[in-house]
Amino acid sequence: MTAQRINGVRRGEPITITVNEEEVEAYAGESIAAALLASGRRAIRQNVKGGTPRGYFCGMGMCFDCTATVDGNPNVRTCMTEVHSDCVVETSS
Amino acid sequence: MTGIKQDTTEIAIVGAGPAGVSAAVTAARAGAKVTLVDESASAGGQYYKQPALAERDHKYPDSLASNIQQGRELLAGLNHPGIDTQCNTLVWNVSAEELVLNLCGPTGAWALKAERIIFSTGAYERVMPFPGWTLPGVITAGGAQLMLKGQGLLPGRRFLLAGTGPLLQVAAVQLLEAGADIAAIVELQSRIEFLRLASRLWGHWDKLGHGITNRKKLLQAKVPFKYGHAIVCAQGEEEVSRAVIMKIDGDGHPLPGSETTLEVDTICLNYGFIPATELPGIAGCEQYFDYNFGAYATKIDENLETSVAGIFAAGETCGIGGADVALLEGQLAGAVAARQLGFDPEVDEDVLHRKQLQARTVAATLGKMFPVKPGLCALAGDDVSVCRCEGVSAGEVRTAIRMGVTQLNQLKPWTRVGMGRCQGRICGEVLRQIVAHETGSDVQEILPFTPRAPVKPVLLEAVGGAVADAAELTWEDHIGGYGVART
Repeated sequence: MTAQRINGVRRGEPITITVNEEEVEAYAGESIAAALLASGRRAIRQNVKGGTPRGYFCGMGMCFDCTATVDGNPNVRTCMTEVHSDCVVETSS
Repeated sequence: MTGIKQDTTEIAIVGAGPAGVSAAVTAARAGAKVTLVDESASAGGQYYKQPALAERDHKYPDSLASNIQQGRELLAGLNHPGIDTQCNTLVWNVSAEELVLNLCGPTGAWALKAERIIFSTGAYERVMPFPGWTLPGVITAGGAQLMLKGQGLLPGRRFLLAGTGPLLQVAAVQLLEAGADIAAIVELQSRIEFLRLASRLWGHWDKLGHGITNRKKLLQAKVPFKYGHAIVCAQGEEEVSRAVIMKIDGDGHPLPGSETTLEVDTICLNYGFIPATELPGIAGCEQYFDYNFGAYATKIDENLETSVAGIFAAGETCGIGGADVALLEGQLAGAVAARQLGFDPEVDEDVLHRKQLQARTVAATLGKMFPVKPGLCALAGDDVSVCRCEGVSAGEVRTAIRMGVTQLNQLKPWTRVGMGRCQGRICGEVLRQIVAHETGSDVQEILPFTPRAPVKPVLLEAVGGAVADAAELTWEDHIGGYGVART
């Protein structure tokens, strides 16, 4: 795994989210982007133009590179959106 | 279409970073009714981003803990009965005549009529394109900091930090203390340029002190510091696995034969910052070209008032100045706005004003130290996407320029640059550099994209409801007016 949760940082309750039909460990309060990175999923999306893989980039909701379909809603910025239990994320990459 | 809810407030503040929060606290303490709006889940902005996770007694590395603590102390001031803080809420339009904001938040779309508006919308990170810059694992240095601070997550293992300016060192120290391995810091400015310009900070001991402390930590950890270098390529299949750096000349052109390849999994970029001016721009607030940072910014007078009556601006949107400037300008804007509404703010505006000018002078010195070099445009070869969203290549842009395009607003309908979801926030400044470089113009002559509402993508029902409220318009008016078809 490239990204790692920092040891010693207190986290919310462990929860399970679903990413492309697989179960992924996350913690309450965490962003979806953080949960994706921590599970080794760095490519979140294929760009509509050109099909190149994209992932977390600006972290502040301006670049729209980390968008995914969340609970059926398309184009959700995963860096700006918290996980919740039973959260269903579909990435295009 | 049914009408949308409209609330009223005395002072509406857009952006809850250091400037917005200090404006809110100052105005509320004077007695004004304040509504503070921010798109993020919590106040603090990027600089004072607070840990998002449930517990607050984090064991963060030293370099982060003090920043988080300072932010927490500032944010405690928001716990005031006069302040209504609305997070997760986007302000997507502003009507300057009526001082009405259009918002979209957890409860849907609504409007907010204010007696005064303060824009403290902050800044974005400047990046420059190169082959591979869209690969997952290439992120902004600020994006890395946000993962550390907000999420308690180290976004990679072996890092390269590249660009120019003090943030590279700050982020490197934070990453290092969180357990990262730093392959190198790649700084555009040469060692001689760096030292000569650093001497201008003589007397500003806190700034120099921070720089020296960070530098010592990086030296102790034996982090290589590559002056006069630039990242020229990121390589990898689905994500970054290598970075290529090269020496550059004084104008930023890479020197042939100087390539070094580094094995890294994460590349953090920062070439300085760009003021976020979309909302003041839509309101019609006059802008000026900030030579120190090479970007357009919102023009304010000594009272922090913009050229539009009733609208103030504070902090980075008025020109890059850093958190010190933002905190002072927030207090000033909050105080003046409250005073205009008949309240008596308990701050000494003269003292604040003096400190503000001093802080702006220091920031200007720092800005001049770390210019983006025009030769970097050559790194975006003709096959490199410069507009990340629309996948428009540098070659397509150069063709349009050869055919006679001289401004960004002309490039837009020609190539679709800036028409994707980020609305030109990333590519706009890159394109200004490229157009200036290709046409031999001064960067100042290349104007930014005209900002349009909605400033970020929102659900059509939010826009539709507000527009229908404003006037009897047809569907074509909606589409044309919101930048989809009309050019």
